[in-house]
Amino acid sequence: MLKMLTLIKREIYDNIAYFVGAFVLSMILIICIVSAAYHSDDESAPIFAIALSIPVIVILIIGFTSMGVSQMYIDRNRKISTFLLTLPVTRGRILTARLIAGILAILTLFLPIIITTIILYQLFIPSVPFVKSMFFDVCTTLTLVALAYYSIGLQTGWMTGKVLPPLAGFVLTFIFASIIIIKGFGPEIQLLLIIFVVASVIRIWRKFMDTSL
Amino acid sequence: MNENVISVENLVKYFDGRCVLDGINLEVPQGCIYGLLGRNGIGKTTMIRILLGLESPTRGHTSLLGSDSTNLPAEVRGRIGCVSEGHNLIQNYKVSRLIKLCKDLSFRWNNEFFEHLIETFRLPMDRKVRELSIGMRAQLNLALAMATEPELLILDDPTLGLDTVARRQFLELAIELIQQQERTILFCSHILSDVERIADRVGILAAGKLVVDCRLEELKKRIKKLQVIFPDAAPENIYITEIINQQVREREMVLTVANWNRQKQNILDTFKPSSCTEIPMSLEDIFIECTKPAQGVTLTAAQEIQNA
Repeated sequence: MLKMLTLIKREIYDNIAYFVGAFVLSMILIICIVSAAYHSDDESAPIFAIALSIPVIVILIIGFTSMGVSQMYIDRNRKISTFLLTLPVTRGRILTARLIAGILAILTLFLPIIITTIILYQLFIPSVPFVKSMFFDVCTTLTLVALAYYSIGLQTGWMTGKVLPPLAGFVLTFIFASIIIIKGFGPEIQLLLIIFVVASVIRIWRKFMDTSL
Repeated sequence: MNENVISVENLVKYFDGRCVLDGINLEVPQGCIYGLLGRNGIGKTTMIRILLGLESPTRGHTSLLGSDSTNLPAEVRGRIGCVSEGHNLIQNYKVSRLIKLCKDLSFRWNNEFFEHLIETFRLPMDRKVRELSIGMRAQLNLALAMATEPELLILDDPTLGLDTVARRQFLELAIELIQQQERTILFCSHILSDVERIADRVGILAAGKLVVDCRLEELKKRIKKLQVIFPDAAPENIYITEIINQQVREREMVLTVANWNRQKQNILDTFKPSSCTEIPMSLEDIFIECTKPAQGVTLTAAQEIQNA
């Protein structure tokens, strides 16, 4: 367990810029949400949430894809896993630590926002009941979007062929955007994202376990 | 207990259709210092990478400390120390950070011994690994590998790129460390004098095959190089088995043979040579004979020099 913590710490330390970025973005969003809670009337809240989510999605896609790419590309380029495997570490543990670090970065962004929002809901009970569930739908979907693009980043960084994963990213963006426009941030998109994330993680896991280091 | 710490069974490795390792069989018992020799790019590092599970074999099976190389558990990895070719340390880390990482990840860490090594090497803790000289990186790599008190130490061309002085220093220290504690060592190099100083058993890789695998002193005894002069033109084939190399030039034939004995002498005598002189051979000569492209013979003959 302690060895695993060491590996996770190493991943966080090596990618500290992404954690700082996620935290800063989180703080900006919290300020926006708090400001909206105090100044906007309840009816404009859903529109505000959707308007805010567009630039957030763009930042999420770029930020977490580049984090995944950076983690894997630097590993491959600097032979970090090759060195780590001369220590009491297995490939599985290296990748697990990496994935946990990625999830922690995503949580660094979303957890403060969710906590703040819960507190705000305690203070300001919304007159429109669907606002609360919609906000959590948006948050869940955005967390899954971050995970999906992070996993695309991991694949792009690890594979020598650089065309397929970014192409998958573009196709995915198109599909997700279409579903969000038609169906909103509902369970359909969440299910699709979960399936995509699981498939991506399985793929990168197999690639990482089989590739020469 | 005298189990094999390293076990290689019929190991085959292809790279882009090119056979790099062709049916290697090797067993290294506990406490043995095994010197694996071979020319650059012959497959020594590939074999080590397969042993460490960094590369998968095309065919065959390898194991370290009784565990399958393709799935070495962390517990077994913790009993192995490795100094790799080029010293693949994490280049952008400071020395102190790299040490802390290794210390935190290792099961055993002899801090007193490590501190002694760091003092001996005078390694700057506040500098990044990439800012260290190759010699310093080699020393740091050795210190990190030794601090974990490994049962098996794998040294893959550790002196590659070092100047003569640094190489000598590195080897002196390695010998000192090896003598202190009995451990199994796989020492891989193309510098024969290095291996000769350390190893008690040697293997020579050539053309994808382990053409020699025996004790060092045995190797010197068993391989003979003969200069045979015939009254007329030298015969093309003299029907002697285990010929490592054979060069024919008019009346002269230079023959390198494994396991020279009375029977082989008798076969040679049937060709009525004018003279037969033994040419003394150093390990370097043996290595060159075993690794240079054979004329008129295949290297499979040399495979007989195994398991003395």
